[in-house]
Amino acid sequence: MNRAHTNKWRGLRGVALLLAGLASGAAHADWYNNGKVLLTGGVFTVDGAGGGGAVPWATISGYETRDGINASAGFTYVNVPALQDSVFGVNIGFYDRLELSYASHKLSLNLSNLDTVALLLNTLGIGGGTDPWNSTLQMDVFGAKLRLFGDAVYTSDSWIPQVSIGGLYKKNHSEALVHTLGADKTKDWEAYIAATKIFFPISTLVNVAARYTAANEIGLTGFGSCDSRLLTQGDCDSKKEVRWEVSIAHLVAKNTAIGAEWQQHGNNLDGKSVKVAGLDLTSITDILGSIGLGGLSNTLQQKKEGDWYDIFMAYAPNKNISFVVAYLMLGNISVSQDNNGFYFSTHLTF
Amino acid sequence: MKVSKAKLAIAAGTALMIASLQPAFAAEQKTKPILGIPSSAVASFGGEYGVHNWVESLFYYIMLDNRINYIFKEFGNVERQIALNTQLEQMVLGAKVEYQGASMSAAHADLGITMTQFNAVVEAAYNACERNQIPYYSCNHLIAALAPFTRVIVTK
Ligand code: HEM
Repeated sequence: MNRAHTNKWRGLRGVALLLAGLASGAAHADWYNNGKVLLTGGVFTVDGAGGGGAVPWATISGYETRDGINASAGFTYVNVPALQDSVFGVNIGFYDRLELSYASHKLSLNLSNLDTVALLLNTLGIGGGTDPWNSTLQMDVFGAKLRLFGDAVYTSDSWIPQVSIGGLYKKNHSEALVHTLGADKTKDWEAYIAATKIFFPISTLVNVAARYTAANEIGLTGFGSCDSRLLTQGDCDSKKEVRWEVSIAHLVAKNTAIGAEWQQHGNNLDGKSVKVAGLDLTSITDILGSIGLGGLSNTLQQKKEGDWYDIFMAYAPNKNISFVVAYLMLGNISVSQDNNGFYFSTHLTF
Repeated sequence: MKVSKAKLAIAAGTALMIASLQPAFAAEQKTKPILGIPSSAVASFGGEYGVHNWVESLFYYIMLDNRINYIFKEFGNVERQIALNTQLEQMVLGAKVEYQGASMSAAHADLGITMTQFNAVVEAAYNACERNQIPYYSCNHLIAALAPFTRVIVTK
């Protein structure tokens, strides 16, 4: 026990030393570069990839140009009625060509209807995939992005944008809760193609992305869906589809941007009932009815997942740090409606 | 390092020679940004005088930046460059001014300029705009008008 503890500390110290080494060696190392113009590398998305808040951009994260490598770390906090999410991540940009990223989500789900049922079922001694008042989810996201062609910044005499493709592998660790919410898979990959261009005459960056995915709420509530009968094989489906995403950022000063985003979401869980212990609620309606809670089964029907919208302000006082505050309009999340709330993010660039 | 600098000096010298052989007009063309440049662009810089002041500020910031100032000290001629840039910037912003210097490719092709160095000049350009009280949006018109030169200026 003691030994494991010291080992863990050693590991941490190793990481700290490595980071310190990176930071101090940075100024002299040949491969190190931070030559991009302010804000042109984008900020930190909830997927870990460089881009806006939710939408990946074709830009490669970090301040490196084609002459070197740059690393960054990001932290994001999201607070809407149905969930509070903390995201921590890192990404590295290589020669303005390749980006590798990792992000870790820690999310608490606040579905009060679900809590009521969980409480009830706990009382009745039926195990569910959710504990009352404590529905936490964890998800890891690994990503890679490759710039194919184009220059988002300087080709002002052509309509050709910068275009990149990316892949994300998402691993949700909260299997029971994901299945309670009617999703099929807890792990899945996504692919996207993004096109970005800055239009200097109107001081505006436009990014359009198409994502091939089966995610529910970017994977936080799993991928695909299962029929609202018993969770047997065959009635589950996690086919991917193409969904669109747009970011528009208007630069009001060289270090400040305001803008908006739209991210299309699917409707895998539309009309699906929350499932408890592998059963949808119709099976326990009797129990609920017998104790006078029949109306609950209605409120446990999930709504069509809302597209995500946000308006944001990004501020980069220098090349080492940027801040983003945003107002989110995430619509329906599972059984909860009108999820409007706040978003704060900071991106540290080394 | 020494060798490559010597090579660069020869190269830059050659570039200058080629430049001086070219006819004074038509050495560099006006760029064509896709969304155009408003006709008020030069005026928003404060006319010819304002553009000249901006170029002076630009070189002031360039010479403060250790990432690039040595290149200008070694291969540049700041006075000549200020005069020529004043012409060039007015031309790309739409004024009827004749640019009498070398083409951007002839002037820079052999300097081995990197994207990082180019961006450093762009940062100096924004600093110069701020210092000269030129609105950010007007500054971006100039960036839009000069950006296409990246292709021939950045050779590394
Ligand atoms: C859009 C950006 C740029 C513009 C509009 C520009 C413009 C000019 C002009 C008008 C000249 C004078 C040409 C002549 O003497 O006939 C020149 C020369 C020069 N430029 Fe640039 N330049 C740019 C970027 C750069 C960058 C990024 C560097 C280096 C970091 C650089 C370094 C030089 C040097 C060293 C010379 C002198 C070359 C010589 O006299 O042989 N320029 N530039």
